[in-house]
Amino acid sequence: MLAQKILTRNPKAELYYDLVELLTGVTLVGFLWTHMLFVATILLGKNTFNSLSQALDDYYLSYVGIPFIILVFMMHILTAGRRLPTRYQEQQIIWRHAKMLEGADTWVWVFQVITGAAIFALGSIHMWVVISGWPISAMTSAERMQAFWWFYLVLLILGEYHAGFGIYRQFVKWGWFPRKPLGYISKVITAIILTLGLAALWVFLKLGGA
Amino acid sequence: MSIQRKFSIFRYNPNTPDVKPFMQEYVIEEPQSMTIFTALNKIREEQDPSLMFDFVCRAAICGSCAMVINGKPRLACKTLTTDFSGTITLMPLPVFKLVGDLSVDTGAWFRHLSLKTKAWVHTDKEFDPNAAEERMDNETALLIYEAERCIECGCCIAGCVTANIREDFLGAAGINRVARFMVDPRDERSGNEYFEVIGSDEGAFGCMGLMACDDNCPMQLPLQLQLSFVRRKMLAFGLSK
Repeated sequence: MLAQKILTRNPKAELYYDLVELLTGVTLVGFLWTHMLFVATILLGKNTFNSLSQALDDYYLSYVGIPFIILVFMMHILTAGRRLPTRYQEQQIIWRHAKMLEGADTWVWVFQVITGAAIFALGSIHMWVVISGWPISAMTSAERMQAFWWFYLVLLILGEYHAGFGIYRQFVKWGWFPRKPLGYISKVITAIILTLGLAALWVFLKLGGA
Repeated sequence: MSIQRKFSIFRYNPNTPDVKPFMQEYVIEEPQSMTIFTALNKIREEQDPSLMFDFVCRAAICGSCAMVINGKPRLACKTLTTDFSGTITLMPLPVFKLVGDLSVDTGAWFRHLSLKTKAWVHTDKEFDPNAAEERMDNETALLIYEAERCIECGCCIAGCVTANIREDFLGAAGINRVARFMVDPRDERSGNEYFEVIGSDEGAFGCMGLMACDDNCPMQLPLQLQLSFVRRKMLAFGLSK
């Protein structure tokens, strides 16, 4: 034992890290799916979308929710990110290993790492843009889509992938259920949310010219 | 009619480090049905006596002949050549100390696991050889038996990404071993004591849920359910004290 390790030892630290990773992950998945349902209200028309945005604003839900989600987002990056291989040799081992094993879940995780890093960057840009163009309205959203639809398309796909497989993996790690049905259910939900998101994207694009 | 089967086998001897690792090809006559284990013996007998690989029981009991067969950790004695078409590539298991070619030292690794997890029944009761054995209900006995089916071949460890990059990770074999004692009513260890052993990134929380252990266990142990069982127990123990 080394003095610096004895002095800083906390036997429960890794439990707390794992728990924070779980809780922040589940919260973010819940947020993302709700977020996409809210965005999809554009399918019901501009007015529905605007009045929902107005209601969230009126009841201060946006002002509480957004800082909270940013905090959770940061905590998730810190706790889930601790598993990222940062050394060159570790990355080489994992890459070789994934190619050798051809295990579906191993590949899914490799992309989970890549999508996670990408969401860190793209999600931050998205939050900044939306907050600096406050409040949210159908017209400003549609305007953003005109120039940056490709940005939102990429973010949508990465986000849904990361969320869908993230929640699957948490259930695999903690759950009472076998993996096969879990994988099926998370894929179905992801497909539904992705379809809604794509439909909303399309409606915003159509709306943009007006 | 027998066919020709090509093998591509990893060669490296740590005693001659000047010779870099390389893949060597062998072609043998393949009868109707043979295991990889039989094929390796044929190669060693007929073509290359220097080829190193391990085996003992030939019957999926000892776990010695685990190796990476066409990318997957498998037992050589339980895998048929006819399961594959074309060249069969054989690599040694990663994570374990390489003895040479396909031979690895799983023994030292599993000994460390046993000491680390203190894998024996901890009890203060004095053993009375004349007393009748204590009864155990069938359900508990079956749970223990299920975990004990592990033959310690190392396939779960070799398939695990975490074990490949973290030398101190105990992997599915280690966590499964602890699960075995947690369900055993004769083991008097407290939740706290189990938590000390496995409530960290070396144990339950090191698992990232990639389930290569569950996919590649030659004994089809329910490793996902064992891992999640121990994880939940560790959460309960960790939060209760």
